[in-house]
Amino acid sequence: MTKKKLMGTTASFEGTERYYLNEELRSIVNMALAMEKPLLLTGEPGTGKTQLAFEIARDLKMELIELRAKSTIKGEEVCYVQDTVLRLNDARFGTGDTGRDVSRFFDYVVWGPIGRAFRADKKVVLLLDEIDKTESDVQDNLLDVLEECQFAIREVNQMVKAANKPVIIITSNAKRELSDPFLRRCFCHHIPFPSVDEMKKIVDLHFPELDLNFLETALTVFYELREKGFEKPPATSEFLNWLEALKIDRPESLEADQLPYIGTLLKRTNDILQYRQKKPNPPRRMGW
Amino acid sequence: MSLKYVVEFYQGIKKGLAYDLDSLFLYAKLVFIKRVEDADNFERAFAFHFYGIDIPAVKEGDPELLYTQQFRDWLKEAIDKGELPKHPQWELGLEELTRRFWDTLKKQMEAHHGGSKWIGTGGSSPFGHSGQATKGIRMYGESQNRSAVKVIGQRRYVDYSSSNSLKGDNIRQALSLMKNMLPAGAYSQLDVDETIRKTARNGGEIELIFSREVLDKIKVVLLLDNGGSSMMPWVDLCRLLFSKMKDRFREFTPYYFHNSIYGNLYKDPQRLNPLPTDKLLLLSPETRVFIVGDASMAPEELYRPKGSIYMDANDDEESSLVWLTRLKNRFSHLVWLNPIAEHEWDITYGNWTIQKISQIIHMEDLSLKGIKKAVEYLANR
Repeated sequence: MTKKKLMGTTASFEGTERYYLNEELRSIVNMALAMEKPLLLTGEPGTGKTQLAFEIARDLKMELIELRAKSTIKGEEVCYVQDTVLRLNDARFGTGDTGRDVSRFFDYVVWGPIGRAFRADKKVVLLLDEIDKTESDVQDNLLDVLEECQFAIREVNQMVKAANKPVIIITSNAKRELSDPFLRRCFCHHIPFPSVDEMKKIVDLHFPELDLNFLETALTVFYELREKGFEKPPATSEFLNWLEALKIDRPESLEADQLPYIGTLLKRTNDILQYRQKKPNPPRRMGW
Repeated sequence: MSLKYVVEFYQGIKKGLAYDLDSLFLYAKLVFIKRVEDADNFERAFAFHFYGIDIPAVKEGDPELLYTQQFRDWLKEAIDKGELPKHPQWELGLEELTRRFWDTLKKQMEAHHGGSKWIGTGGSSPFGHSGQATKGIRMYGESQNRSAVKVIGQRRYVDYSSSNSLKGDNIRQALSLMKNMLPAGAYSQLDVDETIRKTARNGGEIELIFSREVLDKIKVVLLLDNGGSSMMPWVDLCRLLFSKMKDRFREFTPYYFHNSIYGNLYKDPQRLNPLPTDKLLLLSPETRVFIVGDASMAPEELYRPKGSIYMDANDDEESSLVWLTRLKNRFSHLVWLNPIAEHEWDITYGNWTIQKISQIIHMEDLSLKGIKKAVEYLANR
């Protein structure tokens, strides 16, 4: 089967003008779409994991429903919560003219992102951002929900099933290890840090007017800086911010050890101190 | 590997997701590889099976290359063919040899990249795996995708491989396996059942009952050997471990010692500000204790009273072994991480003390695998 034919069968993702998408990532997204599997994206901060979900939604003209994971999330509330305090209050003081009825359970349900995605009339993109921030039991609870695209409302023993399976994009910064069963249910892709050529294309999308010679120098300096073993090496977004700063106040030349606006590239105090002191990092070796 | 993956793989093939070698590469990786640690191994296996190129598990520039089968095979064959002199390590030097190895490998990868050509080298491979890939897979013209072999050649995942030494990303992953959730937070969670019960008792007047939030209350102590020339090569590795532990645990305290532990530990890396080891022993027995050190010393430093190598030490009336045993008895979650790779423990200078200490305290090496095993050991106690 040729590629063209394949693309005809399902909605496919081609990338948008604001976001640089390499061929590999594009194919991966389309494979996940075709197989209707959640796509788990890992990788350094600033490699565009979250952005990708937004771009998929834009490109496929679907609504994006986002869950920003927090460590306090317990599990069910990503599907729904029952506003018990309101219900208790209504039971005690009456519903007044709100139109709620204390005996009607669904009057007190607040849908979470997953609940909204499953109940949507059209196919949506569901983004579970930074899933690794949640506890592992929360992830385990989500497993079946995501796999079957349905969840139970415990209180009334009723299933909510997605009429249109959402496109599920999950991101993780690997703050905590995800469990094996969770990984098994996803297509996983680790986005490597962009190569110099890819970075050029990314920069071009943001600063199309940038002088090429200047960009070459800036890229060299940036990639050298990344190799120096800082606690938090500068990533794409830092680089773009730095270029933005340099656009306003363009220096004559860039010296690797006297970079202007170093604070946009290095965020940790230790890293900045280390940079200022120019202490060379000893090479790391094991077993030789 | 589970059957589910295989079924899923065939479903995808049926849907036409793998229409050439490059898309097969991507698709198989998506289906079968779930952890970034395995990605490099997958890419190597793919290169071996489909291109007949046997890539060693190490990164370019890693001196471990010399121990790999691939390097040895290549060396033997190159000498047999007369491409290299009889004693290449003396005539060319190791650096030149490793450079030539990688050059040859790159040329091979290059030969497989792009264009439409029949794969299957049938004998020309200097790695001695001729015949493996003679099935003749045709790559159809120029693919829109990046060619799989080119992607593999970049070795983008080699740093994450578990056999690899530690990097910032992977330590945190390993340490994150350890957690211990207990109700400890503020009284901020509404306990619905209890609220209803109380409210009913109250004659319908609402009484809200709150319960404590569940929080991660794990306490971690790191005892770090930062003295002596034997620890010098590992300073950087330990510094990295240290910084990652600091971001991972809410309560984390480092102490320092030199070679082995006696009556005093030190709060500062300069070892000026002592903390009696007895005080450490008063910490909750639930505390997780990591000792990081090479465990390499003269036997008397471990065994004899007055064993400290400092002449003016006054904390070594009892032998270090006594102190280590006390630590062991107090803390059930205790593990020793040794920066010396495990396969070198019995041949290194400190082999005797390493062996004795590991009989008392569970010891792992400071590789990703070692840390994972250590964390599993702690979690199972």
